[in-house]
Amino acid sequence: MAGPTTETVFNIFRSMDSGPAAPSSAATAQAWLDHHSHSLGFFIDGKFVHLAERRSLSVVDSKGGQVCGVLCAEEADVSHCAASAVSGFKSWSLLSCYQRAKVLLRLVGVLGLHAQCLSELAQLCVTACSPPSLIRLLQFYSSWAQLRDTLLSGWTPLGVVAVVTSDVSSVYSLMLKVLPALAMGNAVIVVPGRSVAPPALLMAQLFSGAGLPAGVLNVLTGSDVTLGVKVAQNPNICYVTYSGSKPDGLALVQASAGMGVPVSVSPCIGATCPFIIFESADINSAVDEVIEAAFKKKSEVHWVLCVQESVCENVVDRLKLRLAGLKCVSLQSEADRSLVDTAVQEAQQQGATLIQSCSAPPSGPLYPPTVLCGAAPASPCVVSPAPGPLLPLMTFRCHKEAVAVGDHSPHGLATSIWTEDLTLALETAKNLSVGSVWVNSHSVVDPCLPVCAHKDGGSCTDGGQEGLYQFLRPSVSSPPIRSSAVPLDYSKFGTEVSPAVIPDPASSPPSYLQFVGGKACKSVSGCSVAVQSPGGGGVLGLCPEGGRKDVRNAVEAALKVQPGWQKKTPSARALSLHALAKGVEAKRQDLATSLHTQTGVSMDEAEKEVELSITRLALWAAYCDKVQGGSLPMPKSGSALSFPEALGVVGVVLPDESPLLSMVTLLGAAIASGNAVVMVPSQKHPLPTIAFIQVNGQLLSRAGQGQGQGRGRVGAGAGQGQGRGRVGAGQGQGRAGAG
Amino acid sequence: MGFNLEWVSRVRVNTQAVLKRAQSIQGQKLPKKQWQSAWLLKAVTCIDLTTLSGDDTPSNVHRLCMKAIQPVRHDLLRKMDMHDKGISTAAVCVYPSRVADAVRSLKAANSSIPVASVATGFPAGQTPLESRLQEVRSAVNDGATEIDIVINRMLALTGQWEAMFNEIRLFREACGDAHMKTILAVGELETLSNVYKASMVAMMAGSDFIKTSTGKEAVNATYPVAIVMLRAIRDYFLCTGHKVGFKPAGGIRTAQESLVWLTLIKEELGSEWLHPHLFRLGASSLLADIERQIYHEVTGQYAALHELPMA
Repeated sequence: MAGPTTETVFNIFRSMDSGPAAPSSAATAQAWLDHHSHSLGFFIDGKFVHLAERRSLSVVDSKGGQVCGVLCAEEADVSHCAASAVSGFKSWSLLSCYQRAKVLLRLVGVLGLHAQCLSELAQLCVTACSPPSLIRLLQFYSSWAQLRDTLLSGWTPLGVVAVVTSDVSSVYSLMLKVLPALAMGNAVIVVPGRSVAPPALLMAQLFSGAGLPAGVLNVLTGSDVTLGVKVAQNPNICYVTYSGSKPDGLALVQASAGMGVPVSVSPCIGATCPFIIFESADINSAVDEVIEAAFKKKSEVHWVLCVQESVCENVVDRLKLRLAGLKCVSLQSEADRSLVDTAVQEAQQQGATLIQSCSAPPSGPLYPPTVLCGAAPASPCVVSPAPGPLLPLMTFRCHKEAVAVGDHSPHGLATSIWTEDLTLALETAKNLSVGSVWVNSHSVVDPCLPVCAHKDGGSCTDGGQEGLYQFLRPSVSSPPIRSSAVPLDYSKFGTEVSPAVIPDPASSPPSYLQFVGGKACKSVSGCSVAVQSPGGGGVLGLCPEGGRKDVRNAVEAALKVQPGWQKKTPSARALSLHALAKGVEAKRQDLATSLHTQTGVSMDEAEKEVELSITRLALWAAYCDKVQGGSLPMPKSGSALSFPEALGVVGVVLPDESPLLSMVTLLGAAIASGNAVVMVPSQKHPLPTIAFIQVNGQLLSRAGQGQGQGRGRVGAGAGQGQGRGRVGAGQGQGRAGAG
Repeated sequence: MGFNLEWVSRVRVNTQAVLKRAQSIQGQKLPKKQWQSAWLLKAVTCIDLTTLSGDDTPSNVHRLCMKAIQPVRHDLLRKMDMHDKGISTAAVCVYPSRVADAVRSLKAANSSIPVASVATGFPAGQTPLESRLQEVRSAVNDGATEIDIVINRMLALTGQWEAMFNEIRLFREACGDAHMKTILAVGELETLSNVYKASMVAMMAGSDFIKTSTGKEAVNATYPVAIVMLRAIRDYFLCTGHKVGFKPAGGIRTAQESLVWLTLIKEELGSEWLHPHLFRLGASSLLADIERQIYHEVTGQYAALHELPMA
């Protein structure tokens, strides 16, 4: 083949080739790296800290060449960094909203100057980064910084926030966490994944140049997510938020459970999103866009194409024509290539036919865009997608089946649906259990759009006003109390046998039952535990010792009734909550006595708590029909609607303090918005909760609550056996005292 | 083939998605260096070099024909080794009354460049059917081998697709062996769905090309409209196996734009369509800018207008 310089005009005239892409330069980024001798330290207290004795890790480019080294942080660095963040938080939170907004706005200018360097650096490190979208993020959050005290009065920043990402995360998803945290007045410690570390360090330096006080934004680098755990363990950290791949997120949550630090995760990388084409779609546009989504963009998600049977042939014909002109896509590594080869072979063995732009080159980290026709939800290429330009194509028969096929996956991140039929679009969007639905478009991302995935998609809302609350707490609340890490063996979790209760002939304390699926019942194991009186002097009663199976039964019962409860009209839910309040009112004396004997507070205080609880239930009843979405201000064409939805089944672990008030606060909030609840009363003070259930059992079962009272091993992992129960315990506990 | 209402009525066009596609095409990297020169020369060979003014006379039509024969300075072509590859524009395009002049000039120069004529009450199409048909016949009699007809927008806007089909059929018969390019006047069709439907009807009625506009409407050849027409061409090809050509016209003035048009065709229909028999650019001043770009590529200097022969 003729080289690029010798190719004659006449040959090109005949072939109409587009010619080679202009070589990308990385001179600016290299100059920055040269300045740092290709070895980047930590960014602490507004400056680079380079410690020669720390282990160095190399960051590599797409061809495996070394870009630079980053250091591996140790305990001492974490505490040094946390201390600097604490002092950074002091100076940052003392500034006015206007001053904080100004710093963020100034960074827009700084970023404009150094956009070239940042994008080159990101490209070297094989990380996605688009300066225009970062600038949009900055502008969005600088205005939120300005408006915090106006629109979010009554809220106060948390303190020092740790933002952890996994290896493959993009600069955008990192900044989607960092900027709102800063805008709300927190100090941030960033623990970036390896490949995003150099851009994160550069961003920190730029921030510093824009006038961010020293210590407000720090960057610690390390080999993997264990550094995130170390940071979470530091007592100065108030909140840990994570974005990246699912396994790392899970490891972080498990290792930091029980420490009293709330951890939220957005495992958006590697999720599978359905791309649904109905027969009423603009098929040509849909085909163009699915090609762009699946093959052209450097995407963090996998797509699955679902096409209505009646237009499948049309879609396939157009895919064939449109794919024909596409070039091979480069993969991350040789290893990925063999994974892709295996996946394609496997799919072919199962009868899939291929649509490819050209045949695959014999070797090397390149692969042509490939559609696997005839895939099914059970196909391996759908269940565990390979890291390459592969697009499985499935068919469905009717609208209902589209939702069933598209929804049947553990991922609940997003779906793109294509139809010109407005009714169908709205109905499908409502029925899909995903966080975002794009109608006749895909991958529309903007900070004004809150992203909150369903199912395995995490426990965190990012973006929009909703995404700010994770970095705030109500001003009237006290910061959560830290405890030291409890080592948990997840394989044995919830299965240990508790010590038997020895019957004492002298006293026969009353025994209580748990409440599952509208019925009072014993624990599956049959074991009970004794509830001690406040002074520890005697046994107040015996409670069932709930275990793994009790949780399973409770979650199952809750799952069964939740959809029906969610579909009830808001006013019907309000009526049920009012009835609960009435029930408490009728038995106020009994409940106050229960509070008094259980917690040892005076009768006066107990009565006050009951009174507050009644008001709280009435408050939630009033909220039932006031929770509203709305339209969001999209910067580009098109419109965006947000609909608040119930989470589903919510796990609630109650605190020891104010057992009745904290319970109705969390229970009321959850059921007012259409959730079903699995509640674990406080280990120390379970009796008022049980008393409440006894009072309102009839009502609750009608309202459809699965009320599992597992005593004993109270743990955030309670729902993990089931995989579907959303455990909102961390946040629930934090807010419980808000009363 | 006959009229098939289903092909017309089943269409769905999502405007926002089409606009987005147009934007992404415009954002694509254009060819550089010798690739750019080759692409620009391809654009030259696809140009219908046009003059459609009230003051056209035999002398300026003659100049136009001479420019069509030698669209790029010979020495520039020689530097690229393209001087002997038959680079000329695809056709010259004039009003029916000037066809005879153009044919005479080209014949005198021993050129086989076809002469195209607009017809059928160009640009409005608001004359009686009989006179519109007569225009076609007289242009063909005078030696035009390509006829650019305009559709009756009244029929399109009122949804009388079958009537429009029948009219175009009549024009097709009147054209005889001449190539027929159907001008949709997209600037007056209101919606992208109408653009698609009009394209389909024009192709079903036997058009060899579908053309965006007359150049006389307020809005002429835009990329979103072109995308819809190209998709109609692709759909028609998938249904019948028949390849119909595409001609954007009106407002295409810079070399840069012509490269975007070529990219668009290549993306939507493939390189196969990048030939004068399936792609034309209706333009008058475009050629001058392309020649300037080629001058720059070859010499490394920017040409003053007077350094390049006028049309």
